[in-house]
Amino acid sequence: MLDTIAILVNGLTLALAFGLLLIVLWYDVLKPLHQFFGVFLLLVLVWNAGALLTQAALVVTLDEPLVRIAVTAMELGFSGASVALFALTTILVGAQTRRFRLLVFLTLFVVLIYRALVSLGSTEVAADGSVQLLNYQAQPLLLAFYLIFDGMTLYLIWRGRRKIRTQEIVTGISVFVIGQGLSFLNPDLQSFALSTIVCSLAALSTSFAILRAEILTPLSERMSQVEAIHRVSLAITSQIALDTVLEQIAVQAAKWLRAEAVGIWLIRDGKLELTTVYNLPEQFVHRQLTVGQGIISEVVRSRQAMRLEDYKRDWGGLPDLPVARDTFGSVIAAPLTYGQEAIGALMVIAARDGRLFDRDDVHLLELLGAQAAVAISNSTLFADQQALAQQILKDVNQLKELDRMKNEMVRMTSHDLKNPLQAAMANLDLLREDLPTTINADAAKSIDVIERQLLRMNRIIRGILDLERARTGSLKFEAVEPARLVMETEEELRHFVDEGRVRFEIDVTENLPLIACDSEQLKRALINLVENAFKFTPAGGVVRLRACAGDGRTVRFVIEDTGVGIPAEAQPFVFDRFYRANQSGTEHVSGSGLGLSLVNTVIEKHHGKLWFTSEAGQGTAFYVEVPQA
Amino acid sequence: MHKIIIVDDEQAIREALGRKLTRDGFEVTVCENGLEGLRAFHAQHPDLVVLDIVMPEGMNGLDVCRRIREIDDTPVMMLSAQAISEDDIIEGLNAGADEYLIKPVRLNEFTARVRALLRRAQVNNNDTVQRYDDGYLAVDLQRRHVYVNGRRVHLTPTEYKLLAVLMDNSGRVVQQTELLEQVWGREYLNDIYYPRVYISQLRRKIEKDAANPQYILTEHRIGYRFEKQPGV
Repeated sequence: MLDTIAILVNGLTLALAFGLLLIVLWYDVLKPLHQFFGVFLLLVLVWNAGALLTQAALVVTLDEPLVRIAVTAMELGFSGASVALFALTTILVGAQTRRFRLLVFLTLFVVLIYRALVSLGSTEVAADGSVQLLNYQAQPLLLAFYLIFDGMTLYLIWRGRRKIRTQEIVTGISVFVIGQGLSFLNPDLQSFALSTIVCSLAALSTSFAILRAEILTPLSERMSQVEAIHRVSLAITSQIALDTVLEQIAVQAAKWLRAEAVGIWLIRDGKLELTTVYNLPEQFVHRQLTVGQGIISEVVRSRQAMRLEDYKRDWGGLPDLPVARDTFGSVIAAPLTYGQEAIGALMVIAARDGRLFDRDDVHLLELLGAQAAVAISNSTLFADQQALAQQILKDVNQLKELDRMKNEMVRMTSHDLKNPLQAAMANLDLLREDLPTTINADAAKSIDVIERQLLRMNRIIRGILDLERARTGSLKFEAVEPARLVMETEEELRHFVDEGRVRFEIDVTENLPLIACDSEQLKRALINLVENAFKFTPAGGVVRLRACAGDGRTVRFVIEDTGVGIPAEAQPFVFDRFYRANQSGTEHVSGSGLGLSLVNTVIEKHHGKLWFTSEAGQGTAFYVEVPQA
Repeated sequence: MHKIIIVDDEQAIREALGRKLTRDGFEVTVCENGLEGLRAFHAQHPDLVVLDIVMPEGMNGLDVCRRIREIDDTPVMMLSAQAISEDDIIEGLNAGADEYLIKPVRLNEFTARVRALLRRAQVNNNDTVQRYDDGYLAVDLQRRHVYVNGRRVHLTPTEYKLLAVLMDNSGRVVQQTELLEQVWGREYLNDIYYPRVYISQLRRKIEKDAANPQYILTEHRIGYRFEKQPGV
């Protein structure tokens, strides 16, 4: 009865193990877990094939060599499976060391050779062809072998039970070990057949559990991971507020890694600050870490992810949060790096009795961290830009306000200065009338000085107002003949010309195109330049006003003199307000220092060009170019 | 003896101007604000008023000028520290001022302008045209009466003078400088915007449509011409 069941179970296991082996080989043979799983399945396969044949030999007559091979295969597979299961368990709980694979295969090889020799020498074939099997004497070495491997497997399972994803694997492996133990009971009780059945079933259930936990579940998880990444990406690209993006990342990280809690720390003002929490006490938000505190500081410093299996046991430094030691189990912290810079860190936390994170989880968290970093940087850049734009707007408004205030000031000042000036001048005029014509020379000179200084003050005030008017006033553009402008300029300067101290020459090219200008303003600019030329040209010199075609679609006015020239060191400043070059020979020249500044402003408003060439002692030429109408 | 009222909130200025005019033989009253100025105007019927524009209390110079224009065509001279643009000056002239001086002004120029303004305000019996009437516009230059469509229109002394000079030369272009010299006086040759402002004021008072004038025509860049209209 038991034999029949054994045959059925062996057959079933054989078929299923074969199927599972194919799936594993087809899916991915490069992962160590899959390799050991494959080896385990292969040995289960060998063992069950052998067992099937051996059981068959009890029913039908088989050739002796075949039976011998079958028995050997069964025994090899059975022993090998326990080694393979140990190796598989080691991988499952992540306890493998360097060169583990080599060690396992070597062990397997030695065990198999040894078992093959033992088995071949011990099997007896009865005269009637039936096999006297299962005559296991409790061979001490074999017993020790099973004790060692099964014992170690059990130990690993117990120690690493939290690392194994499903309880079925733990149960299956445990049952398998127990099943193997059964075979050491009295052979007369047909315990070997029972052992085979138990082991086969255990092997099958373990295999299915492994298949599900290691291949099928990760596959579906990957789907949800893709989904999670998608959501995080969406959150990032939809440009919603940074807080929302961070919250989304925290939630997705928790869901994705099946973590109990998540925290995101960002560098704010040079310090790491807990900015977003998932399932952590709200009171810790905005808490800052001191330098070097917690694994977060370490992760940000090294820009390397860190994984701890047990926070209390594995982290010796200051805890990241006050509750960390008592409540955190396994944790992973990944840096948030943007470019070469760590801008914060992300930590997923499992409870003390929760799951253990593995290396895959680290990769996943790093992936999320990268996304989060992009989101944070984008949002920070955006915020910076916004702030900058606001600042600029504020500055501009402030400047406008300042400009308005300045204009107001100019108006007020001119009024407030002009009234005293008027009073002083009027009284000076009265004083002149009241004084006898024969006052002493010093008094007369003093009165002259007072008058000159008052006039100078008036000139400066008028200069400021003219400049202000040119700057703030709008131009009334019209098409004007350059020749007319030159004539009117000459007309205005008639008093200089009539003095005859300096010769004034005019030269206008015929048929010049019309220019677009505010004739009053442009004329004022030309008058200023010609007046300057007169002032700085010694008696006997020449001042020339020319109008000719300029570069491109412009008309050029040239104001040349044979005057004192502008010293090289003064040339960069001549258009500055109130600038007057200290130059010998020009002390007598009165002016406000605003004339050229006014000219510059007017020409600028005409979209024209203004420049000059000058050589000390030789003369100066100012060039004005104004666009054609 | 001409009576002149000076209104300026700056004591030093009104006293100096007043002293000068008194010395030159005018009868002067000085006032320190607009209201006082108006009271003095009503009490004394002066021949000329000098007004500061910006005054801190109550009415400014422009207000005073408008109030004066409501009842009389006494010549008004504006004296301002504030003007920085031609528009400011035109605003003052539009308020009815005959003259607009920008501070600081020298006393000699000031008295010269006062005299010129008084001269302008005098009835000039030398005008050849004494009377004009085409049914719409009627002018009696002798009595300084102007009727538009049967209604009496008030013209300031400067406006009368301007109209008289133009009508005297009707059919002929009067150049800007000629106008300045004949209406305002030789001292005014540089005040080139005066004719423009006063012509536009005058048109508003006598033309049917000031934008398309029939009587006072502009000869661009040269001057103005008075054109008589065929009688109705």
